[in-house]
Amino acid sequence: MLAEVGRSILHNAEIAGRCLSLLGRALLALRHIGRGRSQIVRQLDMAGFGSILVLCLIAGLTGMIMAVQTGSELEKFGVLKNLGAIIGATFCCEMGPIWAAVIVLARVGASMAAELGTMTVNEEVDALKVMSIDPVRYLVMPRILALMISMPLLTTMADFVGLLGGALVTKAQFGQPLRTFMESAQGLLDGMDFYSGLFKSLVFAVIIGTISCDQGLATKNGAEGVGRATTATVVLSIVFVLLSDHIMNYILLKVITPLMGLT
Amino acid sequence: MMRRAATNPGTDRHTGPVQQVEDWPAERLEAGSPLVPPPPGKQVLMQVRALTKAFGPRRILRGIDVDICAGETFVILGGSGSGKTTLIKHLMAMLTPDSGSVVVDGLDLAKATPEQLVEYRKKMGVVFQNAALLNSLTVLENVGLPLTEVEQRPADEVRARVVEALRQVFLPADEILDLKPASLSGGMRKRVGIARAIIQKPSIILYDEPTTGLDPVTVNGVNELTLQLQQKLGVTSIVITHDLDAAFMIADRIAVLYKGRFIAVGDKRAIGDNPHPVLRQLLTGSTTGPLTEDFLTAKKPEGAPS
Repeated sequence: MLAEVGRSILHNAEIAGRCLSLLGRALLALRHIGRGRSQIVRQLDMAGFGSILVLCLIAGLTGMIMAVQTGSELEKFGVLKNLGAIIGATFCCEMGPIWAAVIVLARVGASMAAELGTMTVNEEVDALKVMSIDPVRYLVMPRILALMISMPLLTTMADFVGLLGGALVTKAQFGQPLRTFMESAQGLLDGMDFYSGLFKSLVFAVIIGTISCDQGLATKNGAEGVGRATTATVVLSIVFVLLSDHIMNYILLKVITPLMGLT
Repeated sequence: MMRRAATNPGTDRHTGPVQQVEDWPAERLEAGSPLVPPPPGKQVLMQVRALTKAFGPRRILRGIDVDICAGETFVILGGSGSGKTTLIKHLMAMLTPDSGSVVVDGLDLAKATPEQLVEYRKKMGVVFQNAALLNSLTVLENVGLPLTEVEQRPADEVRARVVEALRQVFLPADEILDLKPASLSGGMRKRVGIARAIIQKPSIILYDEPTTGLDPVTVNGVNELTLQLQQKLGVTSIVITHDLDAAFMIADRIAVLYKGRFIAVGDKRAIGDNPHPVLRQLLTGSTTGPLTEDFLTAKKPEGAPS
């Protein structure tokens, strides 16, 4: 049992080391960004535009559910007017970036791992290497960059649609005017809430992109290996996204907020 | 342990009926062939010396010594798991030897700088087992990939050279340029893979089991194409295969790999006459013999190329 735990720790440490090295090489490959234009556009199309509809649907529904659940409790205490602020803060700081990460991971991360995994077992990655085409520059950098561009945009969209869903339900269920809801949201939220959410989405993009590409490129043993790489991508990414979210929240609340004199 | 040469009444397509039944001790069976001098008048292009490679506890290559000459078609034959793919990956400079060396035209691949490897790979084309075309790219983009990504040639030059390469492998360029690999037949994909391998006008072409999974007519087509390219372009071809007909059709010399060593190297006649039980079993396709015994006990080592 102890040996099993030890092996698992070593295995995960190896993956973490590989991911850091891959990320470093992808960042270095940014100097060839001009040569990867077509790949970046292709990946942006997959990562960004393809995720908009499903993200809007999920964010809108979440805003609606939150409005119904939280609104009925707030109404009991006569503080329904704060509903906009609560939903706004929840979306900008947490729900927006997390939903964007989950949707992008499910739609794009898993697909990236499967695509790169299939390319690896079909020797397409070897073919690139023997043509002296660096797979990190050609395959990894455009994917991570596309996620880094699209995730903050998707997060902003999730924030907006989530708030809108909450506002519409608040009006329909509790009769509160849209204006009151939005003023409440504006009153409590400041730029820091919004930008911290965007920063988180950027970190999540790097985590998902790096883990997906690493797992894809490390695929072995044919179709079975591709399935394993895809599953590992989803599991590892979600763990590291939530772990990094917790660390960033801690730094934000305990370090940055007191430093900036915010309460 | 003693093993017997092919004991069932198989027919050798290349040397006639099997006659010899002889006991071979394991040491003699696995012993490497001494280094064969290159044919007279031929210039050595590739020198492989004492090449070894292990993945974990399993030793895949156990001391390969061979000279490959410029302009020849050198075929490496061997059963599954004999180390063929590991050897060709060393020739591609994609694996580093545990010991020994691969020297091509004076360049020791294990000690070469990244820039030297880029230059080496420009002189080398590789035809992969399943063509290894990128499925998201069109035929034009696939074949032109080394020109656009490495040499950064302008689009019109890339197009012209892709059309020329496709014509050299007898493909209707105008009809297939904009198709994705998934729309092509297995034989066409293989030819597109060959076109990509020759687009940079290489002096060495490595073929990794080029006829695997193709129907007999397409197999013959690919073999003829290999011969024609070798004759037209004067390239050095190194072909890894377990297709005997292909080997005897295209080879100038044949080397037989068994358990990580060359057990025989020579021209077609020398290989056809060689009494080695592994060779006899390969040539007859017999179901009894040392290769069968190995298959029953074989396990692919972790990390070894498939």
